[in-house]
Formats: sequence, C-alpha cells, structure tokens
Amino acid sequence: MNENREKLRSLLTDVLLLGDGEFRFDLKRTDVDAWDSLAVVSIAVGVEETFQYHMSAEEAAAVQGVADLMKILEGQAIRF
Amino acid sequence: MKVVHEAEVDRDPAQVTRLWAASESFVLAPTRAGSGRSWLTHAIALVPESHGQRHFGLLTSGSAGDPKLVIGSRARAEALAEVIHERQDNDPARQTICLLPLSYSYAFVNQWVWSHRFGRRFVTTAGFSDPAGTRAALEAARDAMVCMVGAQVPLLLQLFPTATFPGVVRLHFAGARFPQERLEDLARAFPNAKVFNNYGCAEAMPRLTIRGAWEAPAAQDVGKALPGISVRARDDVLQFRSVYSATLVVENGVAHAIPGEEWIPTGDLGQVAADGTVLLTGRASEVYKRFGEKISLPQVQTAVQGVWKGHAALYRTTDEMGEGAHVLVLAPAPDDKELKGILALLRASFARPHWPLRIESVGTLPLLPNGKPDLRRLADTARRSTVHWAQRY
Repeated sequence: MNENREKLRSLLTDVLLLGDGEFRFDLKRTDVDAWDSLAVVSIAVGVEETFQYHMSAEEAAAVQGVADLMKILEGQAIRF
Repeated sequence: MKVVHEAEVDRDPAQVTRLWAASESFVLAPTRAGSGRSWLTHAIALVPESHGQRHFGLLTSGSAGDPKLVIGSRARAEALAEVIHERQDNDPARQTICLLPLSYSYAFVNQWVWSHRFGRRFVTTAGFSDPAGTRAALEAARDAMVCMVGAQVPLLLQLFPTATFPGVVRLHFAGARFPQERLEDLARAFPNAKVFNNYGCAEAMPRLTIRGAWEAPAAQDVGKALPGISVRARDDVLQFRSVYSATLVVENGVAHAIPGEEWIPTGDLGQVAADGTVLLTGRASEVYKRFGEKISLPQVQTAVQGVWKGHAALYRTTDEMGEGAHVLVLAPAPDDKELKGILALLRASFARPHWPLRIESVGTLPLLPNGKPDLRRLADTARRSTVHWAQRY
C-alpha cells in the first residue's frame, strides 16, 4: 500500500472507528452508520491536516464513499 | 394520540400545521428515535385521556439518558411563543430558518410555534448534514430568525469560513454552552443579527430565561427568568416553576403530571443572583450535552463494562473547541484486542457525541472512601496516564 493510501485508511479508520478488516477502498457512506454529518466535518478537517487540502463544504457533503474522496484528492495531484 | 416522525414532516412540512389545527393530540418523534417505536407506543398508552386533546408530545432523554416523553399544552406553547417574541424583539423577523431537528423542543417552540402564532414563514433545511442547502437557505434569507446550538458554531465557521448572511436579523442559541467567545466571528458571519442566548429544558417546554449577547460578558450568565417563570437554586441545583411548562412527563414506565405549583429540577447546577440573574455552574449529576445531545456517562460506562472486565471510569473535560466532552479511563491497561472491542462497541451502540474524547489507562483507579472513583483525582492523574486512543479530529 503506498503512503497516501495508508494515510487515507488510517484517517477514515480513526474517524469512523472501523475495526480490523472493515476498511475498504470501495467503502460507501451508506455502509457505515458512523459516517454521519459530524463525521463529514471530521473527515474534511482530517483531510486538511493529512493532505493539506481544504475541501469546500460542497465537496465534503458530496462525498459518498472512499472512492469520491480519492477522486477529489487525485484532482489535487495526490496519487494513490 | 397520533405519532408523526420527522421524516414524514420533512416530506410534507404543512402536516404540522394540520396537526396543530386538529383537536387530537400528537407526538412528533425524531427520525432516529433511540427509544424505538415500541417504547413510544408503551409511553403513549400511559398518557391520561385528559391530555388526548390540544396537546403535543416530544421525545427527549431522561436524567439517566433513558427516553422520556414530554407532553405540553398547545395554548401554553403559543403563550410562551408570545413572551419569547417580545423578549427577543422578534417582530422584524419575517421568516425563520430551521437548522435543527424539529422534534427538539427548542426548534419546535422557538421556531415552528412562533412562526405559526405570528404568521411568519417557516423554512426547513437538513441542517449541517446538507451544508450546501443550508448555505443556500441562509444566503437567501430575508429578515430571518435562525436558531442554533452553540456546538454548531465551529461547524458553521469550518464549512463557511468567509460567508456572510446579512439577511439574518435574529440569531438565537440554546441547548448547550453559549458561544460567548465566538461572538466576533458570529458578528462577521451575521452582520445584521441581534444575538440572544436562550436557556431552558424540555420540561419547561422549553424556555426559562433569555438574554441578549451584549447584556453579559460570560457564557454562564443566562439572564433572568421570563415573565410567568420563577427559577431558584436549592443545594446548587436549579429548579423552576412556569405557567408554560410541560403538563406531563412519561419516564421509566411512569406518567407524572406536572402541577403548576411544583418546583421542577432543570438538570443543571447553578445559582440565582439577588437581582434574579441565573448563573450556570455545571451540569447536574453525570449527564451533560455534547453537540446538543444529552450524554449519560453512566450509560456509556455501563455499555463499556459489558465488554471490558477491568475498572472503568469517565471524567468530564472539554475539547479544543471548549465543548464539554468526557474521557474514558481504564485500569489496568487494555491489550489491543480489548481496546478494539471497546471501540467496536462505541461505534455500534452510540452516536458520535457519546464517544469519549480519549481512552486512557492508569495502574490503579483513585477511589473515594465510599469506593467510587475519585473523578477529581482521576482527571489530575490522567495527565500521567497512557493514552490508548483519541479522537483525532
């Protein structure tokens, strides 16, 4: 796993309290009860601290899964 | 007694108007009622016939975090809305934008009942779970009144760091600590809004005191009781009597009518100054609010002890934003598997505000002579404890 993939996995595992083996790169918001509106904000803050990218409110709210998050970050030249 | 869930109201907001006009009493239940429908059915069965007409019910959390059905009179709620209107000088507001679940007594009375009583427009939003929609509603506001809880302020400033909402003319807070230290940020975001702090509780249905943000320098000063309401402190516990209070509470399988002359505990600790100013000093017992949610430390501890066989205790603290929070302390230190078991339990059993800020361990829990954990010493000892997990953001 490259460094950015591991950073993203670690971030989401922490914010969503995921257990071993629960994280997947195809994980969707609807798969995890804990991915609520407060988690949306926590993820946005975590992305800024981890990847130095400030997500807009619209971007943060539009994220429906890990894939969307990776797509946004890839748009900022962050490779996974 | 008719039961309506918030999701139904979201689809058809006019439904509340029809319910309010009809004689039959109704209960507005949260979409994600932790209590479950069977609990509500049982609670409603305990409501006497005398409350079957012209009343309304809301669900809240009891002192131990258990569900509680609070029944109020529509006539009292409308009378209280008139008092709130006067005290907050709400007349210039032509509409109100709802950023909170409507089943909160704060949103329901301060906003919906007010809008109904004074013929003002009621604008629904999905709150901060839909930032774009909320921003659009705030930007489109014209002479609007908005009600928030203090915990929403950091979210608002995070989501809309440079936005201004000049169409909001009244901005009210309740439900948690008043964001006194963020008033400058709020003045920038809402340049034309007069800001008020509201204090109360569900049994008050819901308002006890109101003060303008400019009227006192400290968040714990919540102003004076409204006309028709008395507040006193007994052994530092705040109690109230109100002509607008709820009329009945169903809790722990018992329906308890509230006579007008009864002093009712607010669930808060505080003092009442000689001039009638109410000063909050903390939350009573071990129940407090985080992000507007009532947190029961005993409930969290009980759940944790279901998967953790060592000692556990929780102490109160504040997070980086000054919001109340709690820390879970274990003794002895958990191994990796035990820690993961606790984290899995927290996620499965509780919404995020109930999760501890950190999970720490100490060699031995400091105890009081009665055998209970000495929380004051624990908070001090915790500076030297091991942190096993912490909310990172």
